[in-house]
Amino acid sequence: MRRIVLLAIASALLVATAAYAHHSYGANYDVTKELKLEGKLVQFVFRNPHAFVQMEAPDSDGKIQRWSIEWSGTTALGAAGITHESLRVGDEIVVVARPSRVAGEYRGLMVTLKRPVDGFTWGTREGEKVD
Amino acid sequence: MYRSAALSILVVVILSAAAYAQPARQPNPTDISGEWRLESDEDPGALGQSGQPPLGDYLGIPFNAAGRMRAETSAESIWETPEYECRPHTAPHQWRGLGGVRILKEQNPLTREVKAYHIQFMRSMDWPVYMDGRPHPPGYAPHLWNGFSTGEWSGNTLKITTTHLKDGYIRRGGPQTSDLYTQTDYLTRHGDILTIVTVTDDPVYLDEPFVQSTTYVADLNGTTVTEVCNGSSGENGGTDRHHVPHFLPGSNTAALTEWLKKEPWVPVEPTRGGVKTIYPEYKATLTGAGKPDSLTVPSSRTAVSPDKNRADQSPQDGEVHILPVQDNIYMLVADGTNVTASAGPQGVLVVNTGSAKMTEKLQAAVQQLASSLTAGKTNKCNGVDCPGTWGWASPFMNTVISSPDPPKPLRYIINTSVLPDNIGGNEKLAASGFYPRAAGLGSATGVGRTATVIAHENVLNRMSAPAGKQAPTPEKAWPTDTYFGEFYKLPEYFNGEAVIVYHEPAANTDGDSIVFFRHSEVISAGNIFSTVAYPVIDIEKGGSIQGVIDGLNHILDLAVAEYRGQGGTWVIPSHGRLSDTADVASYRNMLTMIRDRVQDSIKKGMTLEQVKASRPTVDFDGRYGSDTGSWTTSMFIEAVYNTLKEKK
Repeated sequence: MRRIVLLAIASALLVATAAYAHHSYGANYDVTKELKLEGKLVQFVFRNPHAFVQMEAPDSDGKIQRWSIEWSGTTALGAAGITHESLRVGDEIVVVARPSRVAGEYRGLMVTLKRPVDGFTWGTREGEKVD
Repeated sequence: MYRSAALSILVVVILSAAAYAQPARQPNPTDISGEWRLESDEDPGALGQSGQPPLGDYLGIPFNAAGRMRAETSAESIWETPEYECRPHTAPHQWRGLGGVRILKEQNPLTREVKAYHIQFMRSMDWPVYMDGRPHPPGYAPHLWNGFSTGEWSGNTLKITTTHLKDGYIRRGGPQTSDLYTQTDYLTRHGDILTIVTVTDDPVYLDEPFVQSTTYVADLNGTTVTEVCNGSSGENGGTDRHHVPHFLPGSNTAALTEWLKKEPWVPVEPTRGGVKTIYPEYKATLTGAGKPDSLTVPSSRTAVSPDKNRADQSPQDGEVHILPVQDNIYMLVADGTNVTASAGPQGVLVVNTGSAKMTEKLQAAVQQLASSLTAGKTNKCNGVDCPGTWGWASPFMNTVISSPDPPKPLRYIINTSVLPDNIGGNEKLAASGFYPRAAGLGSATGVGRTATVIAHENVLNRMSAPAGKQAPTPEKAWPTDTYFGEFYKLPEYFNGEAVIVYHEPAANTDGDSIVFFRHSEVISAGNIFSTVAYPVIDIEKGGSIQGVIDGLNHILDLAVAEYRGQGGTWVIPSHGRLSDTADVASYRNMLTMIRDRVQDSIKKGMTLEQVKASRPTVDFDGRYGSDTGSWTTSMFIEAVYNTLKEKK
């Protein structure tokens, strides 16, 4: 009985936080910050549960690094018209991402992606958000 | 008419009585098999798709100080390193993962008794729950993501007891478990509702068991799909394949309470977890009536002893236990020290010879293995066309009418270092072996009358002495064949496979090796890897923390998991249970985190005593530390500090 009571209290606290916590990437990424990367796509991993864009772009010191940008799953990307052929190795792209919370980790959560050569964009229209 | 009716009733009553008079049958347990859909859970953010609790939310978790430290310094992206990215969810979270669950029955086709249930999630291995009363494996058997489970019915509830689990997470986003926890699941079906109460008992990180409940609904049209893992290279970015994401203590403090800015009514203290914060008595402290420190709560302590668990992984019982590993390879647990043996048609090879006091029993175990290779087998073929026929109608006639071939000899000994546990039985075991080399039988010189003993030349340097000086070990115990490069390959296949000895410079000592059995897919890791203690770093003999970490990374480069970060290449540690890539990664991660913490302290100008006082190993001491014995936590920290200080 005691256990039930304490669970009930814990649940009350938990439920109250659920609205904020739902679909949070806060554990991996600092969702209060943005990082802008301009460089060349080196790998496009179109898969579930999340696709990844890997690109070479300079870090804050100007040194070229290999960045891994987490994107939506294939279903959500497909709904936005994106397929495994939408991006090609060698594409010059501009990515805005949420940076990793781990210092020195070259990782981000996709906010927007642009390919200037043909005007391809993602993240600028309604619903285009990683969740 | 009435008489006839009365007779009928009487007959029915008699027949009914007869039926009841038969022996009582066991009631059939509730059928829990089928497809089930996750209906609700209690994790904030985990309800629905791809949610995660916010960073730093430990509400309801009975953390101790070690558990809190581990959670606060663990980055979520640690689970996306190459060794972990294809893993299933770990057991405490598995019921709450997305994709539903399928429960299958494995039945005896004659008696229809349920031998086992098989539970499958979208992202899991098959999870067998044995119902046939079999015991749990010994402590030195491998730990798995699903562990080893047995079940029993209690009324309408199936109780599943799981041991042998790998380390994982209680909740996503920080809260971790050690690999010493046990889990008990209670499954109860009420109509179309399946309720699962999960009790996670981790003596290293929790002050009392953590209880969660999860609800599933029968899903007649559902099917639990399998999520195929297409591991991508480098989800965490960068080009360092050995990158270990983590936070230095205190460096991520602000982020841990970031979510409370939007929920300011939630007090900070209970979000840090702790057993007192989950009992009703705590509520009074929120209004200022009493202080949490003075609270007394009726906490139910853990039922798991970490000391016993560690002891069971490495039993110091004066006996040799033989664990078959894969193909030719066996793990011999000799009074707590592991010896690796290859046994096959060409004889026996051992990696290390254990402590001196165990030599006779180790010899007996080697003899047992060797004898098993030539022991007779049951006849499975009759007639002159049977394979191997040399004149008898059946080759098995020889087995039946004569004694089997003599046991195959011990041909090779490989020493992975000069430490006493590795060379203690060299002299006697080598003398019992035989390998014709250098001038055939070498009858004049004695060469070839013993097993060949292989080691890095620094091992021989430390065991021997120049002419005229007293050597620390008897000459007959010394390596007969040494190497000095990055690796040494046995000159020919042994028992049908390549055996490669790799030097791991400046690790526990300057003469450490690991041994890779390339076809059997087994690595004998020597002292670089243990599942029961921090690594012994002998600075006087050239050891360093970085060398140990490099050695572990080398093992991870060589090893390949079979499926979902489990099995595949097996790794035999110097002490402790049989392991795989995920276990080595866990040990590597622990050492990397401690190295970085000590390094950071050195950068800040802290002395050794200040570093020790800061307790940089507090979240791992319950798992690997010791205050007594020949290698204490204090000695380990000192060795880490001094090798990093020297490097600087």
